[in-house]
Amino acid sequence: MSDLLFYASIVLFIAGTLVPLLCAARDTRIIRILSLACTAGGSVLLIVLSLLVLISGVPFTVVAWQLFPGFSLTFFIDRLAAFFLFLIGMVAACVAVYSSGYIEHMEGGNRRNLLCGCISLFVLAMALIVSSENTVSFLLFWELMAATSFFLVMYEYDTLETRKAGLFYFVMTHLSTLFVMLGVIMLWYASGSFAIAPLHTSPASLPLATVAFLSLFAGFSIKAGIIPFHKWLPYAHPASPSPVSALMSGVMLKVAVYGLIRFIFTVFSPELWWGVLILIAGISSAVLGVIYAFKEDDIKGMLAYSSIENIGIIFIGIGLYVIFSCEGLIVLATISLLAALFHSLNHALFKSLLFLTAGSVVHATHTRDIEKMGGLSRKMPYTSALFFTGAMAIAALPPLNGFASELLVYIAFFQSVTVVDPLIKVLLFICLALFALTGALSAACFVKAFGSVFLAQPRSPESENAREVSLSMLAGPAVLAAACVILGVFAYQIFFAFGFALPIPDLFLVSVLLLVMMALAYTFLYFTASRETRISETWGCGTKSQPSSTEYTGIGFSEPIVTIFSSIYRTKKASTKTYFDKNDCIVAEGTAEIRLLKFFEEYLYLPVARGAMKAAKKISRVQNGCLDTYLLYVFIAVIAVILYLGWSA
Amino acid sequence: MTVEFLVYGVINTLCVVLLSPLFVSLIKKVKAWSQGRQGPSVFQTYYTLAKLLKKEVIYSGNSSRIMRATPWVCISAVLVASLFVPLVFVTEPFGGIGNIILFLYLLVLVRFFMALSGLDAGSTFGGMGSSREMSISAVIEPTTIIVFAALAFVFKSMNIFDMVGTEVIAGIPVSPTLILIGISLFIILIVETSRIPVDNPETHLELTMIHEGMILEQSGRNLALMELTAAIKQTLLMALLINLIVPWGLSTTLSFAAIAVAVCLFAVKGAILSLVIGLFESSMAKMRFFRLPSLFMMAFFFSTLTIIIEVFA
Repeated sequence: MSDLLFYASIVLFIAGTLVPLLCAARDTRIIRILSLACTAGGSVLLIVLSLLVLISGVPFTVVAWQLFPGFSLTFFIDRLAAFFLFLIGMVAACVAVYSSGYIEHMEGGNRRNLLCGCISLFVLAMALIVSSENTVSFLLFWELMAATSFFLVMYEYDTLETRKAGLFYFVMTHLSTLFVMLGVIMLWYASGSFAIAPLHTSPASLPLATVAFLSLFAGFSIKAGIIPFHKWLPYAHPASPSPVSALMSGVMLKVAVYGLIRFIFTVFSPELWWGVLILIAGISSAVLGVIYAFKEDDIKGMLAYSSIENIGIIFIGIGLYVIFSCEGLIVLATISLLAALFHSLNHALFKSLLFLTAGSVVHATHTRDIEKMGGLSRKMPYTSALFFTGAMAIAALPPLNGFASELLVYIAFFQSVTVVDPLIKVLLFICLALFALTGALSAACFVKAFGSVFLAQPRSPESENAREVSLSMLAGPAVLAAACVILGVFAYQIFFAFGFALPIPDLFLVSVLLLVMMALAYTFLYFTASRETRISETWGCGTKSQPSSTEYTGIGFSEPIVTIFSSIYRTKKASTKTYFDKNDCIVAEGTAEIRLLKFFEEYLYLPVARGAMKAAKKISRVQNGCLDTYLLYVFIAVIAVILYLGWSA
Repeated sequence: MTVEFLVYGVINTLCVVLLSPLFVSLIKKVKAWSQGRQGPSVFQTYYTLAKLLKKEVIYSGNSSRIMRATPWVCISAVLVASLFVPLVFVTEPFGGIGNIILFLYLLVLVRFFMALSGLDAGSTFGGMGSSREMSISAVIEPTTIIVFAALAFVFKSMNIFDMVGTEVIAGIPVSPTLILIGISLFIILIVETSRIPVDNPETHLELTMIHEGMILEQSGRNLALMELTAAIKQTLLMALLINLIVPWGLSTTLSFAAIAVAVCLFAVKGAILSLVIGLFESSMAKMRFFRLPSLFMMAFFFSTLTIIIEVFA
């Protein structure tokens, strides 16, 4: 039964890829709909399959294809893999529904067919990574995911911005593959097998295992966008089409998280300092990610930085899991791991919801600059309600799902009193304070985002003429929004059903109480208060009809935080003035600018890139195009081999 | 839901709603006295609320559903939060009610909606208020969490009911470090209730206002709800401070006499704390906005000190 479902979903995804490829020349809607329907169907099958495994708890193995004697493509789906399959299926199905409307408004003619095919292949690659039984197929599909996502980012390849983003992404994603490959090779040296199975480390193989862990950690961190490897996210997300951003941010980053959890959980027996490393990487990504997100004016850029923050929170959960399990605190370790997993799912849901609704907004206003939006809540009421649900969830407001998972992290932190090591205790409390800062800043960030995009008056003609999007572009996000609410309100009950009686408040009770209190207040005021209402103008100190230019802008909104954290933003203020008179009293004209330093780009990426260029230039001297020189190389190589063989014999 | 908890809910909610406006006017009265004025009556806030209920609601033409929903969401969130802090009667925690993180995030829910409604009408004052409110909240949040973590540390529980219950049985602060936590809690109280030196609740001058800026566009019944929300929030934070530092008098059994005594005692303790807040406000000048983080650092220092003492003691 499970095998059949698995095969059927693979076949559907492959059909979704092949149909538009075969009819690439014909620019008809029906082909794209067919392809997206295949993707959606495959995703639904994945959801059913994963629910079967999640509920029964019985893992199953599928031997799909013998690649060569002694090695076959084998898939193994246990509860962990099924959980991530559920996540992939859930987001991919909603994205496919959304895309069926969105893609028809895009430019690019029959190139759109290829986009549909690529989406299907991309989702398939991610599903197969998660269900890989051995490291070879893991690596194989990892590379397939990297390649297809690169094509998806490059959809609008004719703009300069996209080409730059695509190049950046290509380099970073292959750096990630390189590290993962290195880790897999190291693992092979340590264990002698390609299976993802527990590694029994002896003192002799421990350094090898450590190197394997570090390179895998680096590879997954690059893919997940952990600071300082995060720079590709804020380039790639704004440049790619919104459904692609939703898939990449919602799902692809989680596949990297899956990799890290899978290898730590199944393969390694982690040490304390690994946990500290993951925790510090997580907390710095969380804090810096949200601080950068707050000042961003590009709506998709802001969501990209906010993804970095949330991945940071997931890494905090994983780091706490490792620390607590090394300290022997099994209950706390379980809570932390559940927090990391639950936040992965929640982030996948609300971030794809936000990216999809942001895509609708960009489609309606033809700009990504939030300063040029405003007043959209009256033009696009449904989209604004959906975005609002996502914003509430990501700002961790009760009773939505973002709160439920952050609460688990808080509980893990608060109970760290039982940790013995005082230094670890102090570290955990510092991290707790920074985590609280993250939470508050992300609430501020989404007040700014929702306020500037949807509230007050339109600040540009495009925003003035914005219209509500089509039904399919509302249906996909609506499912995600409903999932956000359900997973939050029934968090306690869901965990209980899966056998984890967690010490978390019953949010269903809290939601009921909220409604009861609202009903009581409403009833009381219905009988006592005046029911008259009137529409009038906003008070503007006596001036009539204020233009939208008097509104508080997004830049103004973020100014206090930028000033308070100026040492992190590294702002540079520069002004030039010319004067009418010799004594510099009367200003004729001048310019002033506040520039934010791109710290990581200017101090980390560019120096590395320049170093690589320099090294490449030196090496390129070896290749001078002269046949004699090449013969000399061959001669030297042969001599070297003979000498080496003689030596070793 | 047990009957005892239901009774607790009714008593606690009634106490909060009825006492909150009193404390607000008391602080005003103390401030007036210290300025050599007569000041309004201590029942003035009740009169104001009653007056506002009779007035019509005026919405800005720019505003959306956020503006209309905010007062209802705020009042219900703060009323649910009021169930988390036992004022006069301690019962067993129920279904996670009393969880200190959830309590904090219910207050964040209030702030989130209030800040959005500030932006909704498109007024510059509202936007300025929201921006400042969210910035201050971001900077104070680490302190608040560390204070709460210190509390959880001292009482070995995350539930306010357990904390207050332990205190009531002991009769005195169970740990000397609670005095340090008390100082931090007082600073948090000042910040969260928009008082001098952080904000000035009396003025409508755009240079200083934060809270008043956000609710500038509210009117009539909605304004009454917003004012009541702010008053209840203040009472809750005061109650947290009072019941953790001077816990005597709280009732643990469901008897009429004990609860009546507890209500009176709480009113007196609240009045004394209002006096302290009023005097504190009168003796301070409004701080420059960007000097505020140093005030918060002080609260942060005291709570971190608590934790360090607890960790290494």
